[in-house]
Amino acid sequence: MSAEPNPVAVPAAGAMVDVRNVRKVYRRDTQELTVLDGISLQVPEGEFVALMGPSGSGKTTLLNLIAGIDRPTSGEVVVAGTDVAKLSESELARWRSTNVGFIFQFYNLIPVLSARENVELPLLLTSLSKRERRERALTALKIVGLADRSDHYPRQLSGGQEQRVAIARAIVADPKVLVADEPTGDLDAKSAEEILDLVETLNRDFRKTIVMVTHDPRAAHRAHVQRHLEKGVLTT
Amino acid sequence: MKFLPFVVKHLRRNWIRTGSTVVAMAVCIFMFCTMRSVLAQIDSMLESGSASRLVSRHAVSLVFSLPLSYANRIQAVPGVKRVATTSWFGGTLPAKKEGKAEEGAEASTDWSNFFPNMAVDADPYFAMYPEFEIPPDQYQAFKDDMRGAVIGRKLATKFGWKIGDRFFLESFIPPYRKKDGPFEFVVRAIYDVDKGKHPGSDSGLMYFHFKYLYEATGRTVDAGSYTVEIDDPSQAGTVSKAIDAQFENTDAQTLTETEQAFAASFIAMAGNLAFLLNSIALAVSFTILLVTANTMSMAVRERRTEIAVLKTLGFSSGRVMGLIVAEAVFLGALGGALGIGGSKGIMWLLTTVPGIRDMLAGLGLSELNLQPAVAAVGFAVAIFLGLAAGFVPAYNAYRSRITDMLRTV
Repeated sequence: MSAEPNPVAVPAAGAMVDVRNVRKVYRRDTQELTVLDGISLQVPEGEFVALMGPSGSGKTTLLNLIAGIDRPTSGEVVVAGTDVAKLSESELARWRSTNVGFIFQFYNLIPVLSARENVELPLLLTSLSKRERRERALTALKIVGLADRSDHYPRQLSGGQEQRVAIARAIVADPKVLVADEPTGDLDAKSAEEILDLVETLNRDFRKTIVMVTHDPRAAHRAHVQRHLEKGVLTT
Repeated sequence: MKFLPFVVKHLRRNWIRTGSTVVAMAVCIFMFCTMRSVLAQIDSMLESGSASRLVSRHAVSLVFSLPLSYANRIQAVPGVKRVATTSWFGGTLPAKKEGKAEEGAEASTDWSNFFPNMAVDADPYFAMYPEFEIPPDQYQAFKDDMRGAVIGRKLATKFGWKIGDRFFLESFIPPYRKKDGPFEFVVRAIYDVDKGKHPGSDSGLMYFHFKYLYEATGRTVDAGSYTVEIDDPSQAGTVSKAIDAQFENTDAQTLTETEQAFAASFIAMAGNLAFLLNSIALAVSFTILLVTANTMSMAVRERRTEIAVLKTLGFSSGRVMGLIVAEAVFLGALGGALGIGGSKGIMWLLTTVPGIRDMLAGLGLSELNLQPAVAAVGFAVAIFLGLAAGFVPAYNAYRSRITDMLRTV
């Protein structure tokens, strides 16, 4: 009998993201810190969910679990039909490259690469030719309205433009799920609105399932569903 | 290959740091290649020594001479075939530059034209050195002339000397100087060396009669050393001990060793050259390893967030590690190529610039050049240093968790 875990899992009906009774405990020396305590969350395909809550409530931890960059202490995280906790490190990396796009608060573009090269990064992991990679990157930049800035370096772009490049990078591999960790947290109001418009467009026109962590009520109102966390527990 | 531009762009992130690391690596490989080439050239010289030839010299130092009476006693030792008095003359050509001669004796030596010259007992000596091919008629002319000199083809070419030409040498060794001025020599024979058969043999030497030295200095000089040919090379140790035993209770004890060992000790008079050069190369390499490792650690430390981003995008830990190692190896390769080029350049310069070239020729290093094998080893060392320097920071990046790295500001 094989004891190999089967990463293929059946999510709740129609759910793109299915978090089941997840606990996340951090251990520091002898101390244990429970960040998520038995959380369950279903996000249907094409849904736009905002996760809200005070600092330290576990929003980002939950987002990291959904994005497959962290593992739960217990429970299951099924995203796009795969129980991410059961994948090995390299399988998880491969899975992330095709299933999840991550949008960071501070954009996290590689400063030595141009906008197009930054967007092209995830495609380096595919078998696409150089020309195809370039075309796809330019298409993604076109979607975010920055095709004319493809040769600019991050230092030559405004914060809003950098975040749009980061969004282009997140969608270039056409992932099913987009996770965004306070995508407007470092932007002025006008840029924040533009970014939220873009995120809405991706959800509406491109049917991306979006899970967004935010402190900003205006950003949260753009989402279809708002969920609140408090001390590691979903309250609403 | 598609990741190569990515690696190169990262190296361009901090030009000063990358440049200084590459230069440090280049200096390391430059020193390695240059030192190894010098040692290889010395080894080649040593290899020219025959196993059937021994050299007896003063046990204390080469600086001291041995009584002439030792020749017969050494000849009487069982297993000895021939003995020849051999004295390093240390002669240099007096400067012929206009005006120099009148300015004073101190300015009259042209060191740039220095070449090895030795006073020997001709018959036994040349009988021991069949690799020196001398036409019989020329050899006879040399024997018949007290001031006669046998010079190598290389010397003849360099100075344009031909049979019958005269030249003067003055020794820098006080007992070998005459009151009435430099020694006069006449080129009586020119020897050739078959480089195919004897690659280590040098045709840049000059020999003359020991008797000339002895007579011209008022019969006051002793033998610098004795070259001894033995019947059976496998008995070199036994014969050496037997010779030294002869003089154990004398004022001038001997140290007899094979020609190769003698050449090595001659070259290493100022210390153990090979050990010194190897130690320097090792110390420099280790230092550069630390410098490069430090550079890579800093580079990785300041890119922790970017590494986390790469992993988030789907780059596996192994691939991230590979990119960092590739960066370090690229640094090593750049430094290695620069160092090898520099080494090749300096050797070309040393063997081309007139004054320096002649000095090297005097030391038997006229054919100093960067062997492909040395360059290949140098490049491999550079790659290894890059690998070793990049491994630890790359492994740390491999092990680091995305969430921990994203928290780094």
